[in-house]
Amino acid sequence: MLKREEWLDYGRDLDWDFSYVREEEAFPEVLAGRPWLPRAAWRDWDEPYRTTFSDYVTTQTEKDASVEAVREVVGRPEDYAKLPVEWKNGLKLHAATLPLAEFAAVVGNLRAARFGRTSAWRQTALFGALDELRHTQIPLVLMHELVSLDPQFDWTHKFYHSNNWVAIAARHLVDEMLLGVSAIEFAIATNFVFETGFTNLQFVGLSALAHSVGDKMFEKMVNSIQSDEARHSQIGAPVLATVVKHDRAYAQYLADKWFWRSWQLFAVVTGFAIDYLTPVENRTMSFKELMQEWIVDQYLRMLEEVGLERPWYWPTFEAALGRYHHMVYASAYSYRASVWFDLVVPGPAERAWLREKYPETWDEIDPIWERIGERWRRTDVGNDFGVHGTAIVGFCDLCQLVLCHGTTRRNSACVVEHAGRKLIFCSEPCRWIFEREPERYAGHKDVVKRVLAGEAPPNLVALLRRYFGLTFETWGKDAYRGDYPWIDRTGGVPR
Amino acid sequence: MIPLYGFLEGDTLGLLVLAGEQDTAAELARKLQDAAALRVAPAAHVRVWVRGEPLAPAVTVSGARLQALDRFDVRFDLRSNAQADARREEREP
Repeated sequence: MLKREEWLDYGRDLDWDFSYVREEEAFPEVLAGRPWLPRAAWRDWDEPYRTTFSDYVTTQTEKDASVEAVREVVGRPEDYAKLPVEWKNGLKLHAATLPLAEFAAVVGNLRAARFGRTSAWRQTALFGALDELRHTQIPLVLMHELVSLDPQFDWTHKFYHSNNWVAIAARHLVDEMLLGVSAIEFAIATNFVFETGFTNLQFVGLSALAHSVGDKMFEKMVNSIQSDEARHSQIGAPVLATVVKHDRAYAQYLADKWFWRSWQLFAVVTGFAIDYLTPVENRTMSFKELMQEWIVDQYLRMLEEVGLERPWYWPTFEAALGRYHHMVYASAYSYRASVWFDLVVPGPAERAWLREKYPETWDEIDPIWERIGERWRRTDVGNDFGVHGTAIVGFCDLCQLVLCHGTTRRNSACVVEHAGRKLIFCSEPCRWIFEREPERYAGHKDVVKRVLAGEAPPNLVALLRRYFGLTFETWGKDAYRGDYPWIDRTGGVPR
Repeated sequence: MIPLYGFLEGDTLGLLVLAGEQDTAAELARKLQDAAALRVAPAAHVRVWVRGEPLAPAVTVSGARLQALDRFDVRFDLRSNAQADARREEREP
């Protein structure tokens, strides 16, 4: 009987010379990616886990059994009912944005499992595809049971099938990153930047928060997912290292493009969850601290290890760490009926915490909440539309998110003319990405352009119902219906 | 009507404002301040800025050569607001 190390490399990394097709035909550049390199250039590709199919099945079976055991003990509706209201809404945000993005990642991994340039890479990508299938199924199963308690959980499955503005933005990212790119770009965008750079570590932070609020089911779920991500994300670095060796400028471009694109959506989903949708007494660190401690330092180290520079827009990114998600959250709160989860107004304790955590920037944001709190003071409890925006909001022609970059004093959006059309970008990096690959992005319309083209209704309620797919039961409201203990409706201000 | 992207100083996001060709800068500022009033208290003295230059209050949208999907900014005129505050304080000590 051969020992594992004697047969492992033959089992996981066995390539051969083609006799009746050329290598370029078996791995065409459009699917395998560029730079197109002969197999010899990929010969040293390796990743540290070196998993066999047998190991994989054994480990995953144990992990699934462990998730199921926790689900039986603490995954019941009555356990959910005990969670803080803010947290439940952070769950709805994650529940919608996560599972079907993971499903798209199945496709991306399968592309790499066919068009990756070594068989070790292809085999690891196959495990990655199986992982992502699991990451689709687990949240779908867990959240589906909650639909009967709260119809907003229906958006777990519905979100990516809708034309909701957040879904348009998420799809714009996910469709490109997971479905529309070559095996090489997928490995750099998804495995290296998004998974190693962001989600792998984000899950560690989210798990700590879930533990703190007592959401054992969510804690178990993200831990289980994280352990898969930690393995298959290892595909990215050796792919990037090979691309750096042969086309350093392109490697730098891909890393910089995908870091910015990933950061935007990450800031919205995780920034909201950490700084607003976790009760202040349960917060373990701010979103900015999480980014600095777990993501920024580690990502820069990873770039250095493969011989790349930090992105050219780094000062813009660092400035955005203290502002962007705050600006998007305040904007989203003002237009909360346009999303599928409820939002909260930060009260005095939350604002004091945010001021402590964001000493350089919170003074720019705080007056907005002062004003919104004042509006609630003059508005009856439950009258959400009395404290709600009505104007049409602008969206970035690259990331499709609201125009919330820069500062509240000087928004950094810029209007650019492209092929006779006016486009607007929320930030210089979004503009830069568009201008590097206009043929990829120019055909896409943001929500404003859809309204102006007559494809979406201009009236807000019609837009919410007919285009975003929301109903009165599911559209976002103030999670406390404006009934905050710190709002004094009996005091000096007349109704 | 001409759709324009409006950015109000102190606000968190850009909004779409529908303007008439003959709307003045003052009217444009009022429309944007109304649209953002949930988040930013309207100020008495503001200036509309287009392409890095302030507009006189009476200049119209067409006079400023603003076209569909152009950007304009509304910024506080701090000196005028301070003077108005001082006058108000004198009247209502």
